[in-house]
Amino acid sequence: MMEVSIQQHNHVAVVVIAGSIDALTADALVTALLAELQQGRTRLVADFSAVEYTSSAGLRVLLTTLKDARQRGGDLRLAHIRPNVRQVLELSGFTSILKCFPDRDSAIASYPA
Amino acid sequence: MSSSGVALVIGSGGIKCAAAIGLQRCLQHEAIPVELLVGCSGGAIYAAAMALGHDAETVARLTTTLWTREITASPDRLAMARMAFPRLLGFTERFGLKRDHLVNARLAEAFGDATFADCRTPLFITATDFRTGEQVIINHGRIADAIRASIAIPFAFRPWEIDGRLCVDGFLSDPLPVGVAVREGAHVIVAMGFESPYQERISTGGRFAFQLSSIMTNNLLRASFAFHGLAHHGEVLAVIPKFSQRIRLFDTARIPLLIDEGEAAMRAQLPYLRRLLATASSTPPAGVTSVSSAP
Repeated sequence: MMEVSIQQHNHVAVVVIAGSIDALTADALVTALLAELQQGRTRLVADFSAVEYTSSAGLRVLLTTLKDARQRGGDLRLAHIRPNVRQVLELSGFTSILKCFPDRDSAIASYPA
Repeated sequence: MSSSGVALVIGSGGIKCAAAIGLQRCLQHEAIPVELLVGCSGGAIYAAAMALGHDAETVARLTTTLWTREITASPDRLAMARMAFPRLLGFTERFGLKRDHLVNARLAEAFGDATFADCRTPLFITATDFRTGEQVIINHGRIADAIRASIAIPFAFRPWEIDGRLCVDGFLSDPLPVGVAVREGAHVIVAMGFESPYQERISTGGRFAFQLSSIMTNNLLRASFAFHGLAHHGEVLAVIPKFSQRIRLFDTARIPLLIDEGEAAMRAQLPYLRRLLATASSTPPAGVTSVSSAP
């Protein structure tokens, strides 16, 4: 199961995700993320502190969002990734294409004002 | 493949592949059927044993007798001489620094003349074409021959010919061949892979070579896994055991530890796997409890 909440921090939309990002939750997550992008909020930070698990289907959601955000001039940046989730991200090469930060504040601050 | 079972891919990793026994035990306990098996290098031994219907205990016993230090203990002095004097003695591509008579005998003892047709579960074993670098997917003929090709460790064992193709170790083309399961139409793929260890100390030329091999293998593993995970229409569950102790190539005494840690790594994925298989066999996915937005 998964829960998503979205908070605005000035020029950045922080997407707080809790639970598992997988084939069972991917559709809802990508819908929520693309809705943000379509409303012009293209500077995204995904707070992963409560993400317990991600699978290949979850990674595809991240990639879809990342490409869409960058095409619109924004970005998707990750914050506070748990070790087991980081292992999957590293194994899949995602840490080489995504900017990752130790906490939410530093991820927000990484976007120019 | 049905929606209630999984494809199991066991990657290269030498003795660490014994962790697949724990994974097998876990799936058996949960009555989750394995409907397709793919094995590479050390993983080929376990995939083959499982495909032939051996239970976890039998596979563990087979490992302790098959994979011991003695299989690489006998140097091939003629090969060494050929390496030193290639023009004089005639160096060939069928090169290996270790005699392979013992590993061949043990594979024959373990698998006899069993063929892929004898498997209860469809089996695919991967090797690498020495001349072209292409992945070779073997699914017919003697299983012992296919495994021998898949474990043709560079420099150690001479390449092995399959259907006219000279094969070397499968890890050279893909250490975790998830793509074979994708190609065969699997939906849910459980992929057990192992990163190659880095050397604690580079004190010999051999260790220097092993270090380079580990760097290349690990980068290939990640690149290939990333591609297949993104390309697959279904789900790939990566089961990457984190061993609490350093495991060396012939640490057969640590097989019980490997099995336990392999089982633990699979067990950690079980809650999601159960939900995934239950959903796949019933209704469309619906796993979100709430999506909320705050200003």
